[in-house]
Amino acid sequence: MSRFSVVPSGDESPEGATRPVPLEQLLRRAATGDETAFAELYDAVSSRLFGLVRRVVRDPAQAEEVTQEVFLEIWRHSARFDPSKGAALSWMLTIAHRKAVDRVRSAEASRNRDEGYGASNQDVTHDSTAEAVVERLDAERVHRALETLTPVQRQALELAYLSGYTHTEVATMLDLPLGTAKTRIRDGLIRLRDTLGVTL
Amino acid sequence: MSEDIHALSGAYAVDALDDVERARFERHLAGCPACRAEVDGLVAAASELSVLTEAAPPASLRAKVLAEIATVRPLPPLTAPQAESGDDAVTSAPPAPSQPAAEAAPAESHGDQGRHADELSERRRSRSARGLARGWRVVVAAATVAVLAIGGFTVWRQIDKDPSRALADQVLAAPDATRYGARLAGGATATIVRSTSLQKAVIVTSGMAQPPTGKVFQLWLQDATGHMTSAGLMPGGGDQVVVLSGDASHSKGAGITVEPAGGSDQPTTNPIAFVAFA
Repeated sequence: MSRFSVVPSGDESPEGATRPVPLEQLLRRAATGDETAFAELYDAVSSRLFGLVRRVVRDPAQAEEVTQEVFLEIWRHSARFDPSKGAALSWMLTIAHRKAVDRVRSAEASRNRDEGYGASNQDVTHDSTAEAVVERLDAERVHRALETLTPVQRQALELAYLSGYTHTEVATMLDLPLGTAKTRIRDGLIRLRDTLGVTL
Repeated sequence: MSEDIHALSGAYAVDALDDVERARFERHLAGCPACRAEVDGLVAAASELSVLTEAAPPASLRAKVLAEIATVRPLPPLTAPQAESGDDAVTSAPPAPSQPAAEAAPAESHGDQGRHADELSERRRSRSARGLARGWRVVVAAATVAVLAIGGFTVWRQIDKDPSRALADQVLAAPDATRYGARLAGGATATIVRSTSLQKAVIVTSGMAQPPTGKVFQLWLQDATGHMTSAGLMPGGGDQVVVLSGDASHSKGAGITVEPAGGSDQPTTNPIAFVAFA
């Protein structure tokens, strides 16, 4: 992960100035039952996974519960990760997203999750300044890429991915003709993929 | 309809399909390498959005996670497909170009998916058994099972090798297809999709536990007099798409019961799910 290696890590790090171990390698070690590797993996990705889960689920206690299930699942399936189909982080985020969406849909009626998308964007609570800078750059890059989408594509994508609504619900919320929200989501994702230069 | 289904790739990549659409799309994916490659790319693009939502979890979570994983053995890696999986229809799907290990993944997925579901539901059952008066229940394995379908390991949802697969697809895509949903304990869902013109009903389940040892899930169609006729057995729990046998065009409802292995002539237990076609 370049974002963890752009800025040399502080000397309090147990690894000193050595490059962080790639997530793929940590997963491979976890697959052999290496709990230390998994702890390292947890430290590297827990903010990404928990943040996404919490954004979708909203309720902090449930978000914590879901995140715990997500890590258990990652641990159990670590040997099944296939790097040819995508990056390790993306794989873990996929697991987290699906679990979060399942949780909100099964508890739909009881929760109000209509607050705006911008509201939870400033949650980065890391103390490391260097890391925060890298994160901010990453976030800016994604923000810029999102700006290349049409407003409808962006809204549809955010409602689907960050709020966990189905494309049918998104169509209703955005007053789109039935069946077009899925196209907007797909077009938006394609634009995002191409702008960010996502490669597998 | 097939042009239409390609367009679901984006919604699929961000988990924005409902259970029935997801089942349909995953059946499509199994035979569409272009969609598989597209989904991989769109999933990767979507996950970039998570930099916008980063937030550190409470410090206590770390200890909980590490304590929990210490008690669980990671699953073994996927190994080469077994010869007998060759009778699985899914093996006829062309390998995905983007995926060198494609031959291994889809070919063995039929059995593997079941294995995941078994292991997971077993584990969950044993975890939850303490709190349960009943000997079994439907639990949420939905996330667990379905998530296997995308991301680094692709495990295609179980696909029937018989013509019922094509029939199921027809019913799900029929213009007069009508859905009747049932929510089961633990967040699992069962949706019956009926097409009167095709005289058939299909059940789409998400997150069902495996039946207890020695038991099976049996499907039923109810006629106007309230009589239940067997509509066949379900292959297991997890996420399933199964055509109910028999003519469903005049049925008044459909249900699932737990029966002894081999099934029963009449339901011997209360349905775990029942939907009225009203």
